Amino acid sequence: MGINQLSTLEHILITTKVEKVMNWSRATSVWPVTFGLACCAIEMMAAGASRFDFDRFGAGIFRATPRQADLMIIAGTVTYKMAPVIKTLYDQMPEPKWVIAMGSCATAGGPFDSYHTIQGVDKIIPVDVFIPGCPPRPESLIYGFLKLQDKIMTSSLADRYKDIFEEVG
Amino acid sequence: MSEPVVPETPQVPEPEAPSGPYVYDYAASPQRQIVLPKTVPLPSYRTYLAEQKAAAEADEARWVKMQADFETAKAKAEAEGKEAPKPPVRPVPRKDDHDMKTPWPQEANDPDLLRLQEILGDKVEEIFEQAGELTCQVEKASVLEALQLCRQDASLNYEMLADETATHYPAATGFAFSVVYHLTSISRRKRLRLRILVPEGFLPESACAVYPGANWMEREIYDMLGIRFANHPDMTRILCPEDWEGHPLRKDYPTVGLGQRDIAFREDRGGMLERIALQKAGQLGINLKQPKAE
Repeated sequence: MGINQLSTLEHILITTKVEKVMNWSRATSVWPVTFGLACCAIEMMAAGASRFDFDRFGAGIFRATPRQADLMIIAGTVTYKMAPVIKTLYDQMPEPKWVIAMGSCATAGGPFDSYHTIQGVDKIIPVDVFIPGCPPRPESLIYGFLKLQDKIMTSSLADRYKDIFEEVG
Repeated sequence: MSEPVVPETPQVPEPEAPSGPYVYDYAASPQRQIVLPKTVPLPSYRTYLAEQKAAAEADEARWVKMQADFETAKAKAEAEGKEAPKPPVRPVPRKDDHDMKTPWPQEANDPDLLRLQEILGDKVEEIFEQAGELTCQVEKASVLEALQLCRQDASLNYEMLADETATHYPAATGFAFSVVYHLTSISRRKRLRLRILVPEGFLPESACAVYPGANWMEREIYDMLGIRFANHPDMTRILCPEDWEGHPLRKDYPTVGLGQRDIAFREDRGGMLERIALQKAGQLGINLKQPKAE
């Protein structure tokens, strides 16, 4: 049997890593929470609607409960009163979970350098992707989401348990 | 086997964690410092008349001084044998272009205001009209009576409390806040503004007994300015969190910085969950506060 000739098995089988398959399935079926805080949520809805069609990337299924969601798009101004609600929603999401801070308010407080606004949602929950803009257009959100997909695809289980592995040696 | 060479990791000092609540660096941006207003921009017919009178008196004093200066200059010129100076001309007061200005208060002619003054008598402190808007300032103790009258009197008949709000005047003497009731009569297509001036610590009577819609508006006034209302069904904060300190719409409240204070998450902020649990338990007949048996 020649080297260039594919065997019967190789015609029907693909070899890959378990981790890669898991990452691929996670990155292409990210379900966000139905959660909007201010005007950025309008752009998020526009991104989900038919013109921009977030569903092309597998992220169009906005879940009504955090328990079925993987992604939280913080779309709007985070006030001091809303902060514990966001924290509770984040804690209710099952692992693995990701967060996108959309717009300048969620990123750094935006124009509201004031008593009621938290200067960036990263003060209460970890953020994976920051999207600038006031508000960002749906293209920006889609670009930020593609960046998140890249991050998910390159993530590794070893990274998650890095501390434990390093302790063992 | 030789030991693997471990590269030395450089020692990086850990960044110091910020301690205490966030304090804005006002020296870095002095334009953001709190500046308390020096004036009391409260529209009032009486104040307007006093201002006009003071301006007229100042004009008169200036004219008298100009004449006296002329007399002395004339006497001096005569003594030195020079030509006499020109006599002064009284300056014509500059005409205000009233179309470009804020409408000034005028005397009240509206029958509603006159009727309010007729019935309430001395309890009405001031009535005036400004840009076609009716304003009636009543004594702070008799606001409920005035509201009842506005609602129930057949010739007034103001059915709706469109808005209730307040303003802080730190420079004023004798009072600190003005509480304003915007009344609307749907049947008569008229609007009326009732106003009271309250000092710090005074509890005005709640309007909920007459206009039930005042409930949340008074809660908002309490939240934003710290005026508590007497006989209000639920005098709690409505916009800010329950454990908030201070009242943000006061003029001495910092406009920047406090949002970055240390965010601590407690299980039960402000005791809200405990209150709800006790309420539910009370409805079900369970005594949650019962001590455990020893």
